[in-house]
Amino acid sequence: MTTRLRWSIPLLLSALLVRASAALAQGCAMCGNSFEPNDPTTRAFNSSVLFLMLAPYAIFFTAVACVVLLYRRGMAGRRGIIVPLHRRRASLPVDGPKEVTP
Amino acid sequence: MTAGTLAMPRRPPIERVPPIASTRLAMIALITTELMLFAALIGMYLVIRLSRPTWPPAGQPRLPLLVTVINSLVLFASVAPVTAALGAIRRGVPQRAARALLLTTALGVTFLVIQGAEWTRLVHHGLTLGSSQYGGAFYLLIGCHAAHVLTAVLWLGTVTALAYRGWWRADAYAGLEMCAIYWYFVAALWAVLFPLVYLY
Repeated sequence: MTTRLRWSIPLLLSALLVRASAALAQGCAMCGNSFEPNDPTTRAFNSSVLFLMLAPYAIFFTAVACVVLLYRRGMAGRRGIIVPLHRRRASLPVDGPKEVTP
Repeated sequence: MTAGTLAMPRRPPIERVPPIASTRLAMIALITTELMLFAALIGMYLVIRLSRPTWPPAGQPRLPLLVTVINSLVLFASVAPVTAALGAIRRGVPQRAARALLLTTALGVTFLVIQGAEWTRLVHHGLTLGSSQYGGAFYLLIGCHAAHVLTAVLWLGTVTALAYRGWWRADAYAGLEMCAIYWYFVAALWAVLFPLVYLY
């Protein structure tokens, strides 16, 4: 994919979003026509829809952050384990394998 | 060099401990689903609350604020002993942990009893599940939280009984930890629901 094409797709999508008409944003014909624009019920529905749009993302990313934090803490704890090397060396046989120097 | 000298000493088997305990992962999944449930209920409450110019609606009783503030303090105070219980188990003092768990259970029961008494008063004043949208939303949202508190109290009771029998040790207390996490979740949820329902 060329650089020009790679940049043109997001730009085109952004332009479509900016130029989108209000009619496209009207999800349900009943909801759009049942209430007046400044009706308190309309405003209540709009606020609730915004809240319910945000809530799943907030909850999901919080859960992912918890898992990542716990995983990193677990891995850090594993790296921090002190291996008692002196005990292992002491248990080696006298004529055991010796270090080979190049 | 004989065969005996060639034999290497046996290494102890490496313990394969996962970086995240399965119980913690399960608890994160459970709390995530519970949060989604409460997000939907809060969305429902917001629609009803914001569509009314006056709140509570005319002819409906006001919610008792002072008693609920005291009740909230009881619930938030119960977080301290459960934290102390976790610390005591980690330090290897199970008897102190059992006493702290018993105190947490008592505070949880107190919260439920006070809330039940307040609900009885509200029903006598005419606020029922079917009296209005206000009553329906209130009992559904707060009742769902109360059901969670009841579940957590039953879980705490079981954990406390096991603590008195010496079930939990410093190297094995996953069940106690999960119960404590659930109790934190229930208390944190109330910190959101109380201002939303009683103060907003």
